[in-house]
Amino acid sequence: MSPDAWKRAVKAVVPPVFWLGVWQLAALLVGRELLLPGPLAVARALCALAVTGDFWLSALMTLLRVFLGLAWGTAAGVLLAFLTHFSPWAAALLSPAVKVVRATPVVSFILLVYLWVVRAAIPAVIAGLMVLPVIWGSMTAGLAAVDPQLLEMARTYRFSRLKTLRLIYLPSLRGHFTSGTLTAFGLAWKSGVAAEVICPPAMAIGSRLQAARLALETPELFAWTLTIIALSLLLERLLRLLLERGERS
Amino acid sequence: MIRIRDLTFRYGGKTVLERFSADLPDRGITALRGPSGCGKTTLLRVLAGLARPESGTVAGVDPGKTAVLFQEDRLLPWRTVNQHIADVLPKERRKEVTRWLAFAELEGEGDSYPASLSGGMARRLALARCAALRGELLLLDEPFTGVDEARAVRLLDRLREMGAPVLLTSHQSGLLDRCDAVLSLDGPPLRVL
Repeated sequence: MSPDAWKRAVKAVVPPVFWLGVWQLAALLVGRELLLPGPLAVARALCALAVTGDFWLSALMTLLRVFLGLAWGTAAGVLLAFLTHFSPWAAALLSPAVKVVRATPVVSFILLVYLWVVRAAIPAVIAGLMVLPVIWGSMTAGLAAVDPQLLEMARTYRFSRLKTLRLIYLPSLRGHFTSGTLTAFGLAWKSGVAAEVICPPAMAIGSRLQAARLALETPELFAWTLTIIALSLLLERLLRLLLERGERS
Repeated sequence: MIRIRDLTFRYGGKTVLERFSADLPDRGITALRGPSGCGKTTLLRVLAGLARPESGTVAGVDPGKTAVLFQEDRLLPWRTVNQHIADVLPKERRKEVTRWLAFAELEGEGDSYPASLSGGMARRLALARCAALRGELLLLDEPFTGVDEARAVRLLDRLREMGAPVLLTSHQSGLLDRCDAVLSLDGPPLRVL
């Protein structure tokens, strides 16, 4: 192994080992698994969960709800951004509403939406509501940054609206769409799971998290939390790869 | 004849055209010669209908049927050379792409993107894209920036062969000699010398 490879390996291994050590030490100092289980107890709980079908089904259903929210929030955010960019009336009417949505705490939304929507649909609705203003903001900034000289060229060379959209707007907006979607995904994931905790649907990570808390199964609570973090990191990386591949093509 | 009468145009508090009048030929290649910033580009933009003068009239030009080459190349970084030409051609003329690449002496660069072209090549592509529009009047703002003189002369000859009247701005004296008419200008505000 070359010295550089050694350095890289040490850099990759030392931080997680260090933090696992801190965790273990803190668990030993606290001395009560109910308050702070150690990494080994959590790993055991995670392994026990991972062999059940319920674990995978809950994870899958949560993913489905979050992606559903991401999809409708993104579609609505893009649509609203185009509307508010091209129509001053739409901007005057809709921009304050989107800003209010952005400023409203997620918990308020969850409790309000609980009054109007069936429980199973709440996480997707909430995730979408969190995604919408982020995508709207990102796309609005992108639309404002489209090169006016290219747009003038398109008008002068008599490009149709569709052609201008395809050849100038969409390629110019790709970077903004990618960064907006990645930010929005993180929000969708966290708000979706939060909605599942507050309004637990039948099969969901959030429901399992809440059940573990009520049963005082702290290692299981940690195991579900670890699952949420791992899935979030993994999916964000996959989404980034997918979006960057789309950008290159 | 293109008849320009009493054009006045102000931009950002600066008077670029003030009751400017001139008659320009509506055939052959006419060059507008003058120092940078004297108002040549503004005059071309007014003729193309891209800038609206405060007052004055222009007769003999239909802005909707002009083909404009901007001072900047205005190429799309995500489109290839071939695509730039194809983008301005109607479906029934898509086969002309090769012909316009030959016009600009860009054969072999069809799949290249603007980032990999030299300044002169990018200018030739922008010129070919504009010429491919087949406007009734070509308004070319510094069409040969970065293009060597021998090649610029060949391009000028090809523009002449197209038959449409051309109005261009240029600083290259070797090219001005080859134009059918040269209008010497000064300004701002723009005036005929």
